[in-house]
Order: sequence, then structure tokens, then C-alpha cells
Amino acid sequence: MNATAKPAGLCDPVEVSLHDVEQELSRQLRGLAEAEHGPVQRVRMSNLVVYCDREELLQSIAAEIPKAVAVHPGRVILLVGESTPGSEGITATVCVQAHGQGHQHQACSEQVILRAGGDAINRLSFAVRALLIGDLPTNLWWAAPEPPPFAGLLLHELGEPAQQIIYDSLGWREPAKGVAATAAWLETVERTAGGRWRVASDLNWRRLKYWRRLVAQALDPAFDPDLTPSISEVIVEHGPHAVVQAWELISWVAQRLGWHVLTGKVKPGVEIGWRFMGPHREIRVRIRRLEQGPAELCQIQFTCTLRGRPTKMTLVPDGELRLAITFDGMDTAPRTVTAPRLDLAELLGRQLSDRERDPAFRQSMEVAQVLARSVRG
Amino acid sequence: MATATSLSKLENPFSAGALKSLLPQPCTLVIFGGDGDLAWRKLLPAVYNLNVDGVLPSHFAVVGFGIASTEEGRMAADPDEYIRKRAKEGITKFSRQPLDEDHWNDFARSLFFVPGSFADMAAYKKLQAKLTEVDHLFGIPGSRIYYLSIPPQLVELSVAHLRDAGMVANPGEETAFTRTIVEKPIGRDLESARGVIRAVDQAFAEKQTYRIDHYLGKETVQNTMVLRFANSIFEPLWNQKYIDHVQITVAEEEGLAQWNFETGEMTASRIGYFEGVGALRDMVQNHMLQVLCTVAMEPPFSLEANVIRDAKVNVLHCLRPMSPADVNRNVVRGQYIEGDAFGQRVPGYRHEVRHYFEKFVKKPIPPESVNSTTESFVALRVYIDNWRWADVPFYLRTGKRLPKRSSEVAIQFRDVPSVLFNANPDIPLEPTVLTIKVQPEEGLSMRIASKLPGPKVRIYPVKMEFNYSSSFGGTSPEAYERLILDVMAGDATLFMRRDAVETAWEWVMPILDTWQQERVLNLPEYQCGTWGPIEADRMIEADGRQWRTL
Repeated sequence: MNATAKPAGLCDPVEVSLHDVEQELSRQLRGLAEAEHGPVQRVRMSNLVVYCDREELLQSIAAEIPKAVAVHPGRVILLVGESTPGSEGITATVCVQAHGQGHQHQACSEQVILRAGGDAINRLSFAVRALLIGDLPTNLWWAAPEPPPFAGLLLHELGEPAQQIIYDSLGWREPAKGVAATAAWLETVERTAGGRWRVASDLNWRRLKYWRRLVAQALDPAFDPDLTPSISEVIVEHGPHAVVQAWELISWVAQRLGWHVLTGKVKPGVEIGWRFMGPHREIRVRIRRLEQGPAELCQIQFTCTLRGRPTKMTLVPDGELRLAITFDGMDTAPRTVTAPRLDLAELLGRQLSDRERDPAFRQSMEVAQVLARSVRG
Repeated sequence: MATATSLSKLENPFSAGALKSLLPQPCTLVIFGGDGDLAWRKLLPAVYNLNVDGVLPSHFAVVGFGIASTEEGRMAADPDEYIRKRAKEGITKFSRQPLDEDHWNDFARSLFFVPGSFADMAAYKKLQAKLTEVDHLFGIPGSRIYYLSIPPQLVELSVAHLRDAGMVANPGEETAFTRTIVEKPIGRDLESARGVIRAVDQAFAEKQTYRIDHYLGKETVQNTMVLRFANSIFEPLWNQKYIDHVQITVAEEEGLAQWNFETGEMTASRIGYFEGVGALRDMVQNHMLQVLCTVAMEPPFSLEANVIRDAKVNVLHCLRPMSPADVNRNVVRGQYIEGDAFGQRVPGYRHEVRHYFEKFVKKPIPPESVNSTTESFVALRVYIDNWRWADVPFYLRTGKRLPKRSSEVAIQFRDVPSVLFNANPDIPLEPTVLTIKVQPEEGLSMRIASKLPGPKVRIYPVKMEFNYSSSFGGTSPEAYERLILDVMAGDATLFMRRDAVETAWEWVMPILDTWQQERVLNLPEYQCGTWGPIEADRMIEADGRQWRTL
């Protein structure tokens, strides 16, 4: 067995046969109750199944899980499928995590790691079914780096009992291909199959939440009704690996403002540009990749007029905790929104509680698909 | 789907179709009594928490207004710096989330104070000038929320001056809107409540008026509707056929004064407000009747604010009126006497009243307060005369200086028939109880009968508990946070409509009138640290029931 680093609050992981997983979890809970001299409460809002395609990724995700379950307690089933020589079966490693101290109870959740190699990878979905807690929502986090439409049968089978499939478009190697395929995939995966609700969520879309909120407030007609119709250019700058985030943002803006793409052009690794026709004028949009910086949006700039004066309205991070709107050549206080920087675990924890379909995301992805076609020819 | 072209020029294309409650609109929150006790303890910390959580709009500011409540404030050369210092103290002391310097600096730069008397028209001109400046600075389209955190007797004056200064927008104005939040108490009887309502009406339409009852902003109170109408198991049982009775308790460990036990000095007091008001007006007329309405209402046909408020006010219409004889039978009031609280010996209410006037505020004690008959405890047996609740008693009790701070709604289901497991009268089965816990912890619990392990059939009550903090992680927002956000979003669902306020007072008035006519010299007493006077126990025991042990 590969050793897994033990984050704070976790009991010692114990390797057991698949058959003995529940028994071992109960044993650890009893041990915890004795150690704490008080009752232990299993807190489970949902099942979380996480698929990783290599051990290294599993290790980094396992380190994040305690923080995620602190936000959204649940039974976590971590899967790693790695075709390494001599690893043909499925092994299980289980541990209990204490993650909160109520007034009367020690709150705990459970973690099971299943490692599979060779053909056994295709049997993971069977092992998972036996471990899911009934009557609770099931979330599948597809943590592998390839876009879900290219994941094949394994994702299909793991996702079958899930009410939410979570993926992360951060760092996709071929953004246009990934975006186009995913937009089409959403059509097939989000459905009400046999009465079962299912939604697909991109963590990258969630990362955009505060940027979208700020854009919505910056372009609020209550502030200046003539500002949005005056936009002639938008430039979005992003760090390495964040091109899909910028793409999703532009798709959302275009969808909401009724802009239709005319042409698109890619300078690989540097810039993607589009020409749009809006209700009032033509708009140039560019998303630029910065050589260095965090894997996120760095700036959005609108060329527009404010109260009749030409200006550039810029949305930028203001320190670590907020985003700000500034205007070139205008004497105003910076308008800010608090935008807590969420790490992966917090992002995931919040997404787990958010099971509603987001029509804005679906509509934006439809536009994203059109943008992808325009640059792929 | 809403598109840019199908929207009106002033509608935000980015928020069309989104949840209303998530969309606070750009505005300035103007707090009348901006450095007062409520603002200091609750409102400014609430707005700070909204800032930390990232839910405030980018175009937002807070302006406090009033004569500074502290000596330091009255002497301050820079009012803005004064309110920032005062707010920082309050946030440090009372905020749900600890003060973070970075968030504080961002919050503080949009916090201002305009000193002035509510009676002085010139002060409103100064306020207006400040608001215009703030609008320009923060890009706010002239939208305002006036939070009237002031004594009821100042409401009429303040509202009239706002109107006369031209600071109230047309009710139909959606962008540069004006809204007002009216704090409790809304009057001290039906007539004065109507006076407050009329006074606010002179300047603000009903749709601009948000009468706040912070109990309705608590998660579990909101969850009561979810519990009832999002689960198919409860609603079929939610009636006189299956429910034996309901108990609503709001117990407070604190009294009306705080003491330094080492020096014997009074350090803070609410007696100035509470004396002559009492627990019936302070807690029952508003908070407890609103909670009762949430528990007892018929299913609304939609989640639209007025539909829900109609359903609630219909409960108030069905409350059985009380004759003087009914008041004596169904209402018990009490007053605490010396006893124990927080592990210390504490004085009785009358002692606190005398001390308050003679030593704390150093004013002559009013004749009616010399031997005060203001109730610090009240218990009621209430009936709702409609098909669903016919003959199901609702027992309400609230008091100060009870053994602990605890508020809950307990739904006790009827006993199972006296056959099978309930055939042995020596060991009656404990009835099933569903408890909605409001504070200090928020959650639900259900007591059910279960078989103890072993060869014999031995039945034992077990409690299934759901606790917000441990199940969902994190901390729930304070009620004021949710309610202020709702006003910014224009959502009135959790606020009291004028007919609800008036109907609640109409029901309470016969009790107050009966007490007024009786002119008793002494109320039933209870020691601090006990669950109220023996008379309250006798009232419920006469029905073959008991108060729950909390």
C-alpha cells in the first residue's frame, strides 16, 4: 500500500479488505468515542466520490479533504486508478475524521480510499456502489485533468448514481476543444433520468463568482444606463492555465449583453481575440495570457464612456481579499467587493452544497461553444 | 431567457432571472441612532459581517445619523472618525466573525456619521448633503435605506422631517429607491402602534416599509417552513388530530440589569426601556406571536412575500380572544426576586428598578415604579380557533432570569392508544416530541420511543438531533445580517405587515386591559434561576400536562 499523509483530525488510516470497510469505520468511531470520553456523531450531508488518475494527485487531494468536509461533512470515497505493474486488485484504506466540536457531540466523517490498477480500474464503480450511504445525495468529483467528455465509460459509470458531477476546467491543455466538447456533454449529462436529478458543475465557474458579481455591479444600468451600450473593447488578462476561466467569463458577458460573435482568432499561448456585434456597436474582445502570475483572472478592462466621458473601467484585485472597480481619469472612491480567495477545498465544500442548476452557466457554455467554433474554423 | 434586448433600460441584464434574495441593490444604509446601543451591538457588526462574507454590493456605504450617544461622540471634532472608532469597538466585541484589519479598513472607508438632532430640520439638510457626497463618491444611484433605530416617540418626527426635506422617493422608483426599516417596539398598545404606523405612512408607502422582528431572521424560524412544506411526513400530521399541544419558550438567563459582583455596581441596564413595558409587550406581542404564526399557518400557495404574510396574519385572526375571566385562567405573569444567576447571588427586579433610578441614572423614581408590577415572566395558554388547530393548546412562556438561555418550539404529538406497548399504566410511554431549537443552538430534535437491546421488550425514549453548526459546518449568519440584506434586495417576506402588527396588538389588548383594571399590588414571584412562578406550573398541570425541561 502507498502511504497517505495524515492530515490533522484524521485517525490512523487502516488498510482493510473491501468487505470490512464498514466494520473498520465503526471500530474507529468507537475508539474515538472512548478517547474523547463522549458521544461521537457521524455527520453526513452527502457522499463524495473523488476520482484521481494517479497517486500523486490523490495525495494532494487527500490533503485538501479535511477542509472540504469541515464545510460540507460527508462520506468521502477517494478513488485512484493507476496502471502500475503488479497492481491488479482493489485495496481499501479507511479512516475517520473528527472535524468539529459541537456543544454535545464530537462530529465525525468517514474517508475511504480505494486504489485500483489494471483492469480493476473498471470495477471501481461496483466497489463504490457498495459503499454509498443511501438516502443522501452523491457527488462525483472528476479530479482527473482531462475534460469529462473524454473520460469514457469510467466517468459514465461512476457518475450514474451521482446527483452532481463536479469537474475543474483549470489547466485544460486544449481549451477550445475542451470547451466545445464539454458544452455538448452538458446537454447529455444534465438530465432528469428516471426521476433522478443530475447537474454538472465546473469549479472554474465558481472561481469566477466574485468577478461576475463585480462585472454585474459595474455595468448596472442604475449606475449609468449608457455605459454598457458604449463598450467598444474588452481586454481580459489571466495567468497561466486560466484561459478557460477567461473564456467562460467572456461567454457570460456576451450572452448577457446579447453580443453575437463575428470572427475569432488565436495566437497560441499569447492571446485569443473575437469580434462581436452588440445591439449598438461592434466590440473587440481579447483574452491575454500573462507569462507569469497566479492561475486566475488578473484584470478586466472595458473601454467605454461614463456619463459622456470616454474612460477605461478596470476591474482588478485590490489586495488579497477584494476586487475593485477603478476609472481612468475620474475622481471617485474605489468601489470594492469582498472576494475571499478560496482554496480548492473551500471551493469544493461550497460547490457540494450548491446542487441547483445554474442557467447562467448553461447559457454561457452554449456561447462558449460558439466561440470555440469561431477559433477552430 | 431574458436577453439584453428584452429588458428595460434600467434592468440589469446580468441579474435577470437570478434569485432576488441574492441581489442586494446598490444603496446607502442610513442608521438613525447610528452610534446607539442597537447599532453598536448588532447593526454595525451585522453590516461588517456582510462585508467580510462578500455579499455587499460594490456601490454601498453606511451613514449614521443622530446626536452622539456618548460624551466622546458629542465632543468629537471628526464625526466620521468617531463612528469608525465606535463601530470598531462594537465589532470587536460583538461580531460573529473576528475583526480583521484588512476587511475593517475597507468597511471603515465607507462609514460616515452626521451629528444632529432628529428634531432639527437643518440636520436633515446636512444629512442630505452628506448622502449626495457619498452617492458621488461610491457611485450610488441615490438609493437609501433609513434604519430607524430610535425610540418610538421619535419616529413620527423623524419621518416627517425626512418627507419635508424631500428625502423620500416615490414608491414606484426602482433605482433611486427609498426604504425604511422600523424597529420594535411598534407602539406600547394598539392605539400607539397605530400612531407609529400612521406616522410612517405619512412618508412611506407600505411597500417601502420594513417592520423588523429579528426572530424571523433566525435560521430555524425560516427552517420551520422548510420542515413543514418541503417534507411530506410532517404536514399530514400537523393538526389537531395528531398534535396534543405546542410549547413555545423564550427563556433568558440575563435579567434587566448587569452587575459587577465585586463592587456591587450596576454596569448596564435595560430597565429604562423595560419598566412599564413588561414581557408580554416585549416578547409575546411580537416575537412569540410571529413564531406561533410560522408554526401554525396554513400552507401558502406561493413563496411571494404577501402570500406568506397573508397566511401568517390569518393565524392571528384565529387567535381566541380573551375575556377578563379567560385572562385569569389562561395568563400567568410573574416577577423575579433575589436568587442565583451565573453562579452568583443576584437581586430581584424591584431592587434593580430602585437602584436603576436612584444610582444608575440618578433620577427620581416614578411613583408607579416604586413597587413595580412590571412582569418579567409571562405564561399563556392560547387557542387557535380554526379547523386545523381546534382545541389544541399552545403554551407560551417567556421570562428573564430563568435557569438558562434557551428558545424553542416543541410540538408534542398525541399519546398512542393504551394498548400494546402503552398498555401498562405504571410506565406510560413518553409522547413523541419534535423540537425546533431557536437559540442558543439552532437545530431540530425528535424524541421517539425505541426498544432497548435485550431479550425483554423495554421501551426507552431516544432523541434524534440535528444541529446546524455541526451538520452544516461554519457559523450561521446573524438574523440582522439576513434581514438587512433582504431590505437591500427589496424582499419583505420576513417583515411584519401593518395588519399583522395591528392584529397582534388587538389580541393582546384585552390582557393588558384586564391587568390595568385589576391593579394588583404584587405579582406572583419566582426566584432568579428558577423556571418561573408556581402559578405557571399550576396552569399547565391543570390540563394534565407539564412544561418541558429545557
